[in-house]
Amino acid sequence: MQDDLFTIEIIKEALVAIGDEMFAALIRTSMSPIIYETTDFAVGATDARGNLLAQGNGVTGFLATLDTAVQSTLLHYPAPGDVRPGDIFITNSPYEGGGTHLSDVVILLPVFHGDRLIAWTVNKAHWTEVGGAFAGSASTQSTDIYQEGLHFRFLKLYEGGRINRGIVEIIRANVRLPDSTIGDLHAGVAACRVGGNRVLELVAKYGLEPVLGAMDELLDYGERMTRAALARLPQGVFEAEDVIEEDGVGNGPFAIRVKVTVAGDRMVADFTGTADQAKGPINTSMAGLVTAARCAFKAVTDPDIPANGGCFRALEVICPPGTILSAQSPAPVSVYYESMIAAIEVMWRALMPHMPDRLPVGHTRSVGATFISGIHPRSGALFVMGEPLLGGWGASAGADGDNGQFCCGNGETFNIPVELAESRYGFEIDRYAFREDAGGEGRYRGGRGVVLDYRITADEAFLTFSSTRTVSRPWAAAGGCEGSHNGAFILRADGSEEPHTMVTGLRVAKGETIRLLTATGGGYGPPAERPAAAIARDIRNGFITADRAKEVFGRPE
Amino acid sequence: MARRLRVASDVGGTFTDMVWCEVDTASGTAGAVQAVKADTTPPDFEQGVLAAIAKAGVDLGAVDFLAHGSTVVINALTERKGAPTGLVTTAGFRDVLEIARGNRPDLFNFNFRKPPPFVERHLRREIDERTNVQGEIVREPALDALAAIVAHFRAEGVTAVAVCFLHAYANPANEQHVAQRLRELMPEASVIASHEISREWREYERTSTTVLSAYVAPTVERYVGALRHGLSERGLAGAPYIMQSNGGIATVAAVCRNPITMVESGPASGIFAAAALGRLIDEPDLLVLDIGGTTAKCALIEDGEVKVGTDYYIERDRKRPGYPIQTPVAEIVEIGNGGGSIAWVDDGGKLHVGPRSAGARPGPAAYGRGGDQPTTTDANLLLGRIDPATFVGGEVVPDWAAIDGAFAPLARRLEMDNAQLAAGIVRIANANMVNALRLVSTNKGYDPRDFALLVCGGGGAMHGVALAEELGVRHVIVPVNSSAFSAWGMLLSDLRRDYLRTSLVDLDDGARAQVEALFSELEATATADFAEDGAQNPPRFERFADMRYLGQEHTVKVPMAGADTLAALIDRFHALHEKRYTYRLDGAVQLVNAHLVALIEVPKPSLPERPATGAPLATARIGSRRVSFDRQGAHDAAIYDGLALEPGMAFAGPAVVQEPSATLVVPPGHGVSIDRFGNYHVHLGAAEA
Repeated sequence: MQDDLFTIEIIKEALVAIGDEMFAALIRTSMSPIIYETTDFAVGATDARGNLLAQGNGVTGFLATLDTAVQSTLLHYPAPGDVRPGDIFITNSPYEGGGTHLSDVVILLPVFHGDRLIAWTVNKAHWTEVGGAFAGSASTQSTDIYQEGLHFRFLKLYEGGRINRGIVEIIRANVRLPDSTIGDLHAGVAACRVGGNRVLELVAKYGLEPVLGAMDELLDYGERMTRAALARLPQGVFEAEDVIEEDGVGNGPFAIRVKVTVAGDRMVADFTGTADQAKGPINTSMAGLVTAARCAFKAVTDPDIPANGGCFRALEVICPPGTILSAQSPAPVSVYYESMIAAIEVMWRALMPHMPDRLPVGHTRSVGATFISGIHPRSGALFVMGEPLLGGWGASAGADGDNGQFCCGNGETFNIPVELAESRYGFEIDRYAFREDAGGEGRYRGGRGVVLDYRITADEAFLTFSSTRTVSRPWAAAGGCEGSHNGAFILRADGSEEPHTMVTGLRVAKGETIRLLTATGGGYGPPAERPAAAIARDIRNGFITADRAKEVFGRPE
Repeated sequence: MARRLRVASDVGGTFTDMVWCEVDTASGTAGAVQAVKADTTPPDFEQGVLAAIAKAGVDLGAVDFLAHGSTVVINALTERKGAPTGLVTTAGFRDVLEIARGNRPDLFNFNFRKPPPFVERHLRREIDERTNVQGEIVREPALDALAAIVAHFRAEGVTAVAVCFLHAYANPANEQHVAQRLRELMPEASVIASHEISREWREYERTSTTVLSAYVAPTVERYVGALRHGLSERGLAGAPYIMQSNGGIATVAAVCRNPITMVESGPASGIFAAAALGRLIDEPDLLVLDIGGTTAKCALIEDGEVKVGTDYYIERDRKRPGYPIQTPVAEIVEIGNGGGSIAWVDDGGKLHVGPRSAGARPGPAAYGRGGDQPTTTDANLLLGRIDPATFVGGEVVPDWAAIDGAFAPLARRLEMDNAQLAAGIVRIANANMVNALRLVSTNKGYDPRDFALLVCGGGGAMHGVALAEELGVRHVIVPVNSSAFSAWGMLLSDLRRDYLRTSLVDLDDGARAQVEALFSELEATATADFAEDGAQNPPRFERFADMRYLGQEHTVKVPMAGADTLAALIDRFHALHEKRYTYRLDGAVQLVNAHLVALIEVPKPSLPERPATGAPLATARIGSRRVSFDRQGAHDAAIYDGLALEPGMAFAGPAVVQEPSATLVVPPGHGVSIDRFGNYHVHLGAAEA
């Protein structure tokens, strides 16, 4: 019946729209800037078995965390009656479905029609505080998971509609900003309820079977679209390798390797050959690696259609357990994201030469996660700032790289306005500007990294910072130059300049400045081929001096 | 001279609309609203306005009031035809405009590029100065540096300069010094400082706003000057008023000082007309949908008020971050879904409608002007919902062969016949509009069932009832002359200014006086600004508080009442927060922005009542035809001549009401009544009405 075709279409649209509604609900209800400004979260819905139907993303880095969290929940609660109406689950376990690091907490709501489980609504959000050894629950020094904070392993936060007060009180007693953290918990529950109610409204309107049918059809549609796109890509086996410099506790560098096979309408990403898991918190678990592979896969297939489980049926991810990209318990994972985005980029590095219209050369490749905490000089209250940094993106075959954009693991991520930051935190900002030093020259030049100067106005403050691409540089192609480095510098009161790449709880005194630098992306094509007009424009805009231009490009202007 | 004229004109992308009515100055009663269209005449848009006046035969000497809306600002922005602009900003922060917020809405596109800034880096110049977060001047500006900056700007042909300093929303003194010196040094340029446009925090958004204001300022000055000159040459005694994005009008002088307020001049007028009509017929809570040829716009009106906020962007969509403009704009959601929207099928076999539109040329396939893809209008014709005999007011005979040709390839691909495809197109188009209506209602914590749906624009009446069915809305209102409804809205506008000021106030016991002082200061500013316009009477004020729980970022706009105690205000915040976000907290509450609306009312024409002669309903009935309704299937529907319907008449679906430029489709099961003004009211599920 043709009318049913359109009914199914309309239900599918409505299912996808649930992701948007949940996204709006969470961003508006959260009390943590890392959620409402950085949008370090994802929301979505799955079918009863955990197949992703729709996801509202703030960042790319959670692409495989909602559906796998549902799948693992079902493994933890396998018997009939284990999952009941009114239950809501919580997990932040890194080594199973949904896992990243402890700060990213997943809330899962099973949606029941009568007593039949028909769907799940899920969100995963970065909570500013989950306890652990250091403020902001971020550490570059932890050597096992127990130092990194509270660990909820697939617990019932609500049972039969009643909140488990015990869990709430454990949180309250173990985190530094309990109001904010518990606010995030409620925001996550609210977002799940918004999504759950919408699923039930659809069932009330169209009936259960049409809605379940539309779910299946939505997944099939994602698969059809993706396989069609895959079949148009160059076929073959593409390999690349790269390094992650350090693990935070003095070890490294670590090799990461990938072999990507594009054959017909499927893709296999095999990370065999990657270094063993590290002692320090640079590890990512398999859920992070699957996210990474899905991101690169999506970038070269069809970035347009909303991601769902069907899109990823054509992707297989292989990695032996126990590598830096497939870490096992109790490996520390606090800065897992550096490895995860390195995995995204190494895959894109393998594919880029064959798909230059879809991918640029290497970018800043670091979240540059920066946490500054202290006692606010006016209010006397503890402040904890957490934010990722903008950096330079690589040039592509035909265009300069983008200046100052968050890394590939971020997305709809917003920097914190200077005027808000100065209101909320114990520092003033003296500079927020593009870098003007060397790096990324080419026919097309790399996008510029940024420099950010935080001058401490509190009596003292503590810095936790991590980045990679501190020894290696953003890669170039076709004769372009590599980009520059990421890093942090403390401008001490005595005039010294102290470099850091991974540091935890570093004391900085009032009047001293934390200078953060992010990499300029790689260049594409030989610098000698850069058009004179483009060089003149770079000089006029202060991105390069006339003298250096002569040196780099071999001719005046 | 007892009969005077009130005129409004609106420059659109294709046509310049003009409406006018006679008003009896003694009684205040107005005659019928009349309308003409003339071609829009870029880049000298005022020529189209003057042509419309000539076409209407309106004697400008008899005009008391002329309001004017124009797309001149949005055109200058989207076509990048503004002035070469320079920016002067705080040392260390010239790249804020290009860094922007760093977001990449097109998440998985690793070849993404941010939209380029309106001011290139070498024209973004820094001054050593600083104000801190508390509004204290840390360093006064180094004015000596301006001479070199001005020399560079001149050499580069800059004719507009934006000044934006950190924390100028809290204390604009440094900006004032620099702007003043720049005006002395560069008298030929338009100089705009951020505090003159926005007193809200967030430096990127404020800088962007100031830059875009400066960028369009010379264009606006030139345009408004030429318009004023042309009108006064033809006998207009006073000056025209300019429509702003907040739904109010402003004097020419006020608009030249704050030109960006024109960015959504005009498009909002249908929404404000709906609010005015709602007040008149006692329907204060409305969902409004205005369906045009290319887009549909929707908004929510609560308690007679259109929501106005400063969270506005141009060129923003799911893939592009756009450019923020921190100016008061009516909160409207616009989607690419109108009568001319084109239906297409993607790789996965999914049917889409829009956002591409057949536009005015070639137009839908039925126009027979070369349109070879199916549009929503074609689908409505195929389904019998539009009367082929009166298509486009009877001016166009539908080109059935062209429609068949346009539908056949898609129908084949989806393995269905043309009629089934047409039904599908209408359903998908309706679903798109339902989603847009949800964005302004459900997504913000409102239940659509608590509202009446008012539909206007050429396609409003056609789709309104089906949308109401989807949303569970019980009452649909189709205003008289619905296709020209937004033009009528422009005759109803008051002089309006919005003042928003960021000032963090913890709402504890002592805060009432602080809040009062804040608003009093804004009211004094407003009174002075209107006095400068030459206003005879002081403005009327409405206060809103943008509030949040301590620690949150986003705020809720809370209307204030004059006698509010602090506790009452906080209670209202808790209630609104819960409505919108599903929960309330015990935590401390903070005021972030004070928002003052200052209004000076202008006399408005009353809506004329339609005479009732007592004629029976049968006199309005012009026949019946087979019409395909969506969920209810095909039925023989009664056809009524809308112009012959009278107040007091009532009938039930299946029915179609036809007017020269609008068609109301009423599926079976619903009742229709006509009110004293001639507005149609559809009562869902009340067939016996």
